[in-house]
Amino acid sequence: MELNICHMYPDLLNVYGDVGNILILKYRCESRGIKTNISHVSLNDEFYPDKYDIVFFGGGQDSEQTLVSKDLKSKKKSNLINYIEKNKVFLSICGGYQLLGKYYVTSDGNEIEGLNALDIYTKSSGKRFIGNTVIYNREFNETYVGFENHSGKTYIGSLKPLGKVLAGYGNNGEDGYEGCIYKNTFCSYFHGSLLSKNPELADRLIKLALENKYGKFLLPPLDDTYELKAKKFIINREGVQ
Amino acid sequence: MIKLCYSHLHNFCKIVHNSIIRRRCIKIRFISLLGIVISKLLIFISNKLYKGGTNFPGKVALKFDKNILSKISRNYTPILVTGTNGKTTTTNMIYSILKNSGINVISNSTGANLYTGIISCFLKNYSFFSKAKNSYAVIEVDEANLKFVTERIKPEMICITNLFRDQLDRYGEVNTTLNKIVEGIKNTPETILILNGDEPLLGKMNLPNKILYYGFSSRIDNSNKTNVNLDSKFCKICNEPYIYNFTIYNHLGDYYCPKCGNARPKLDFSVNNILNIDSTGSSVLIDDKKFFINQAGTYNIYNALCAFSVSKLLGVRDKFIYDSLKTLDSKFGRQELIKINDKSVKIILVKNPAGFDEALNSINLDKKSKSLALLLNDNYADGTDVSWIWDVGFENLDNNTIQNIILSGIRLYDLSIRLKVAGFNENRFSLCDDYDSLLDRISKGNDSMIYLLATYTAMTSFRKFLNNKGYISNLW
Repeated sequence: MELNICHMYPDLLNVYGDVGNILILKYRCESRGIKTNISHVSLNDEFYPDKYDIVFFGGGQDSEQTLVSKDLKSKKKSNLINYIEKNKVFLSICGGYQLLGKYYVTSDGNEIEGLNALDIYTKSSGKRFIGNTVIYNREFNETYVGFENHSGKTYIGSLKPLGKVLAGYGNNGEDGYEGCIYKNTFCSYFHGSLLSKNPELADRLIKLALENKYGKFLLPPLDDTYELKAKKFIINREGVQ
Repeated sequence: MIKLCYSHLHNFCKIVHNSIIRRRCIKIRFISLLGIVISKLLIFISNKLYKGGTNFPGKVALKFDKNILSKISRNYTPILVTGTNGKTTTTNMIYSILKNSGINVISNSTGANLYTGIISCFLKNYSFFSKAKNSYAVIEVDEANLKFVTERIKPEMICITNLFRDQLDRYGEVNTTLNKIVEGIKNTPETILILNGDEPLLGKMNLPNKILYYGFSSRIDNSNKTNVNLDSKFCKICNEPYIYNFTIYNHLGDYYCPKCGNARPKLDFSVNNILNIDSTGSSVLIDDKKFFINQAGTYNIYNALCAFSVSKLLGVRDKFIYDSLKTLDSKFGRQELIKINDKSVKIILVKNPAGFDEALNSINLDKKSKSLALLLNDNYADGTDVSWIWDVGFENLDNNTIQNIILSGIRLYDLSIRLKVAGFNENRFSLCDDYDSLLDRISKGNDSMIYLLATYTAMTSFRKFLNNKGYISNLW
């Protein structure tokens, strides 16, 4: 049994330790005897949707994000949309999250076109949302923690959020939601890395990817003592009941 | 104590009063003078009470006189050292070399590098009577504080060590850090800049200042491994990815842009070769002369090269540079070696992925069996976002020679997850959620050599704890 994991632009979008998500997916698969193959797809590379079971797209600095946005449109747009529409597993963080949307309005009013894979948009705000955040997903009955650091405000329209904000800012500091879910695409502003303190979410992604490929699958549990203590620490410190 | 302080205050006031009566050295307004007196008193008190405390006196003095820094620094020729990594060690190196060569020199070598900490340093050395002539002040300056300092001080030189990703939640991005430094330099166009030529962000500076570059003139053995996780790899002129003839570590090396021709500048001072490198230090050829640097790791060769460049410009003889680099006393958590009972503990400050990776590389140079103690805090000075530990290559640690891993600090569980995912066996972990249990674990364990890597406030607070327990005599 094996999963092919694709890391988008690892050489460009690597600012906030988001590579941890890849390391964690690999660790949690291999601890259960599931082989993982990690591929890097960057500027000018083709993206083949059938080759991958999980795609990860992280955040970066502005200058690098501009390069990525051009490359996405010219090289990968239809194949990425095709991948997402086929219910395949996609995890997108921060800048990667914003780029999946329709557009991004910069601080000087310019509209940068996104991939238009999700019906969401982002507007730059004067404020930077920085800090530890706690959210709750009612459907999964799971609490996620992470560290957000963004000045873009994202509006997710009718899409499901990743969770309701219990502490922190979330997508835009206004509507009380963080991240979004569309089919098997999960988006979030959380660094930390996201999956480091949210092993339930990591396993959800692995399980969905395995089921896409091999049918119904039961994941054996792992010892998540450290992960859950690290999560609990943030929840307590943010004063969430 | 109170009586003692009072008598000091009384004496100071008498001195001030007498000075005014005699109209001696009244170039400084009375209010500034009062500020200096009170702040010096605060330094005295805080040294006695807290055995440290470095920003507060400067804060107080600033309340009395906004221009205090230019007044108390006027008898010194300042040399400023900034950049994200290596400031403290480089400052220490320059300070030791100048001191050994007989130059009168002061320094804020404890790393109190904010505007108020720098004021405190000058206050501490300020004398009402003897006017130090021909004295140098070697001052480490935080990147974002440089512009405040250069508003009041016109340094002879500014050194910039490098620009690695550092505490992104505080300054935003590496380019933001560079812009803050450039703002500071723009206040002082006469200052000579001593820059790391191997740092692509410091090429093509477009400033009126005279610039001298230092770097490596040829590749070193381990320099051809590629690292995808670089901080800055796009041409600052045209945004094309750089090509490297060689890298020394992270993004430092001999780079050029294949599109617009932007390339590493000509080096004025260079390391020609590394003759030997191990956990006791490095033997290197700088400008074809042999030096031994007793601080382990490639990053310390850069620090030494920067100190060498400054010293040569000041006309210091090679002998003094040689002696100082060979015997540098390492302090305040920069590869500081302490004893806890029969255990040797080497304390290394870590604050960002590039520095952490270099610390791990220097630990790999030690082929003997050893243990690690890792302390991670998330206070403001550490960076409140701990995500950066995922950019550190713990996977590159030599797993075979590491006995145990001791984990502590506010965010010890985040570290534990990171080390577990990096492939270290949890049976070898010891989690210590306070310093008592950490000390207990270190002193009673079976590890004879422990490398203790800690973020800023973890390092300072654990050193303070060790000081209270009598394991360290000097806190600063």
